[in-house]
Parts: sequence; C-alpha cells; structure tokens
Amino acid sequence: MNFYPLAGKLIPIFWLLAIVLIGIGLYWGFFKTADILNDQKQYYRIIFVHVASAWMAMWLYGVMVAWAMIGLIFNTRLSYMMASATAVTGTVMTIIALITGAIWGKTSWGTWWDWDPKLTTFLILLFIYIGYLALQSAIDDTRRSDKASALLSLVGLAIVPVIYYAVNCPDPNECASLHQESSLKRVESNILIGMLVTSLGFWAYSFATILMRARNIILERERNTTWVSNLDEVKK
Amino acid sequence: MSDFFHMGGFGVYIWSAMATALVLMLMEPMVLAMKRRSVLADIKRIKRLEERKNRKQ
Repeated sequence: MNFYPLAGKLIPIFWLLAIVLIGIGLYWGFFKTADILNDQKQYYRIIFVHVASAWMAMWLYGVMVAWAMIGLIFNTRLSYMMASATAVTGTVMTIIALITGAIWGKTSWGTWWDWDPKLTTFLILLFIYIGYLALQSAIDDTRRSDKASALLSLVGLAIVPVIYYAVNCPDPNECASLHQESSLKRVESNILIGMLVTSLGFWAYSFATILMRARNIILERERNTTWVSNLDEVKK
Repeated sequence: MSDFFHMGGFGVYIWSAMATALVLMLMEPMVLAMKRRSVLADIKRIKRLEERKNRKQ
C-alpha cells in the first residue's frame, strides 16, 4: 500500500491550503465587498460559505460516483474505500449548504424553508448520501457492501443535473423558484473572488478529510496484513 | 468593530451561518483523529495478544 504513506504526507499540505484559502476568501468577502448589493443587504455575505459548501456537496457526489465506477469496473479495493471516504465529507457539505441556505432564506425571502425545486432536490441529495452510508453499514460483508452502495450511488447520480436545472431551466415559466439562478457572470468581481477562493479552500478541506478517512478505512480493513503491523505508528 | 459584528442588524444570521460551517468543519477532523487513535489502539492490542500467544507455544 503506497497510498497510505503518501496520503499521510499530503494531509498537512491540504490542511494548510484549506486554512490559508478559506482565510483569504472570507477576508476578501467581508472587507473588500460593498455592504449592500442590489436588493440584498449584508446578509448576502452568507454566500461565501453557502455557495462553497453547495458546490462541494455536488462535486463530491460526482467524485464519489467516479470512485465507485472505477471500483465496479476494475474491482480495485482502494477505489471503493475512496468512494466511502468521500461520502461522509459530501454529507457534511450538504448539511452546511442546507443550514446556511435556510438562514439566508430567512433574511432574504422571509422563510427558513420552501419546497422550491432547488431546495427540494438538494434535500434529496442529502437523503441519497445518507442512503449510501446506511446501505454500506447495513451489509457486513465488505465486498458486497462496496458493490451495493456503488450501484446505489450510480442510480443517485440522476439528482445532480436535476439540482442544476432546477434553477437554470430554459423556460422560466416551467420552473418558478425562489432560489436565484446560478449566474456567475453577473456577480460583482470582489464577491466572485471571495466566493471562488473560499470554494478552493473548501476543496482543500475536502481533500484533507477524505484522505484522513481513507487512511482510517485502510487501517481498519487491512489490520491483519504484515504491512500494517510493520507501520511505525503500530510498532510504537 | 461593533459595526462589523452588527452587520446592519443581520449579524445574528450571518455569524450563525458562519458558526455552523465552522463547528461542522472542526468536528469532522476531530472525529477522524479520534477514530484513528482508536483503530491504532485496537491493532496494537491484538498484535500484543498474538505475540504473547506465540511466545507460549
């Protein structure tokens, strides 16, 4: 297992990147931007964590499915481990996006929740993540649970384009929603910088936590192998 | 400075959104670090038991 020591070396690098990038992104977002933005007052600043976590929630779902697919096609154990390591961080990101979105909704729309297409599909994404994790822990045999949950993640992939088109649909009459379109082109440049840099920081955070979790999963599954018992952290 | 935290009356909303993200993103790595410690402790314990068994034989 060459991956285990490599991941161990990468984790501190990604933590450093995450702290620096999120720090810069939020500094930019809070100190370099105007207080009032069209019809949105200061509360629009929730955007910096809301968009970053929502993007990561969807992106990580794609990453998880990619690992699951590689596992199904090539039957490689490590890719299944990466898929389940990705799922938990994706769930955390989905929860952050939903909670920060509800708070933003309260200030901007006057309601914590609405069964608007974007919000509803995002809630379904959370349920799919939870379903994946539940299925995996429900089957004792690792190889079977890996395969079953990989298939479930593949089926659940259908929700990702639905989330996207829930606000960016070609005919606005067909999908009236409270949630605004994702319109990067119209966003003011200082806000865009804050948003993108924070998102990069969240991306680095995801790398760090996924690698940490992958290392834990490897240790758990390979505990009986000689390479694990020869590890420095086990010998001590 | 207090203006900054007040955020034009929306401070409670903005800072609770930021705090939600902060708390969850601190908890996740903490849980992972605890998990690592417990997995390593388990592996070491089993290794010691096996070594003892081997010595007796």
